[in-house]
Amino acid sequence: MLEVHAPIGNIFEEEFKDLQNGDSERLRISRIELEKRILRKQTDCGTDLGFKLDPGVRLRHGDIIKNKDSKIIVEQLPERVISVKFKENTTSDVKVLLGHMIGNMHRPISIRKEEVLIPILADSERDTFSKIIGHLIDHIELKIDQRVFISQSGVTPHEH
Amino acid sequence: MTHIARIGIGGPVGSGKSMLIERMVPMLAKEGYSVSIISNDVISKEDADRMRANLATEKGLLPENLVIGIATGGCPHTAIREDPSMNLSVIEEMESKHPDLDLIIIESGGDNITTTFSPILADYFIYIVDVAGGDKYPRKGGLGIESCDLLLINKIDLAGMVGADLDIMQRDAKIIRKERPFEFINCKTDEGIKKVTDHIIHDVLFDSIPKSANSQVV
Repeated sequence: MLEVHAPIGNIFEEEFKDLQNGDSERLRISRIELEKRILRKQTDCGTDLGFKLDPGVRLRHGDIIKNKDSKIIVEQLPERVISVKFKENTTSDVKVLLGHMIGNMHRPISIRKEEVLIPILADSERDTFSKIIGHLIDHIELKIDQRVFISQSGVTPHEH
Repeated sequence: MTHIARIGIGGPVGSGKSMLIERMVPMLAKEGYSVSIISNDVISKEDADRMRANLATEKGLLPENLVIGIATGGCPHTAIREDPSMNLSVIEEMESKHPDLDLIIIESGGDNITTTFSPILADYFIYIVDVAGGDKYPRKGGLGIESCDLLLINKIDLAGMVGADLDIMQRDAKIIRKERPFEFINCKTDEGIKKVTDHIIHDVLFDSIPKSANSQVV
């Protein structure tokens, strides 16, 4: 087992960007596993990794693990999300109301331009969500997608 | 300060969390691992008192002061998820005074399928249900069942009496858990408990030798 205390960098950093399109060994893990300090998991090539992360260190999508002369890339698995897009000319009061209702779901969110992503556990949550927001459904486009979900930085939501 | 590996055990009231700990600790102690226990409840410290009497006073497997009962005063699942500060302060004291511990077990009830431990608090999350909840339980999913590191289905000896089909539970658990592990156990007879401690030793302790054995090496 290779014990890991910290990644050496991230493929989205300038220094390591060449690794973005390479065929490096991958460790594919879920968003929830990324939050762990202790984790034992095998890569796609079968390398046995044991993470015991140093204080303050946490794994991120794209992190690079050094394994002797090679490098292993941490790849976050896509997960089911509800994608909410506002239709044109949506007024700010509708956006605020929708934000309030999404907040009541106690989930992390990710905002990309005019799109809000919310991770879900089951496709049936689309119907639940539609019922919760009621008539506001007329102001948005709603779909379920598989995405790599990276929570909005600067907020610390709790999830359940 | 030394970070001691922490396991969170959550599950509905009566699912067998305390009994699981009472069965696991002797097996871990036999392997030489030193364990402490934190038990969360709303107002009662009965589970902590029972585990202390059984594991510490009677069996001498750990000091009595290493079984701590926390009365959360509110829903115990909030003390392991939204605001784990009460638990963290106890753990900090344990890590400071007992750095030779191998493992801290944190138990908390959560009478719904949304129980989960904050990753700040627990490094590994075991969710336990029992067959009396019906064989639909794994299929219903939820954060606890889907996101835990190890799902346990307890009281399998009662399955026939409560009309729960273990084949259905196994089929649904495989579907919902994908490659992630689950085990059938019976805490009354120790059936399956060794598999649970094997998961812990492999996934959390990385098959390392106990700290006490390490300190004896000259």
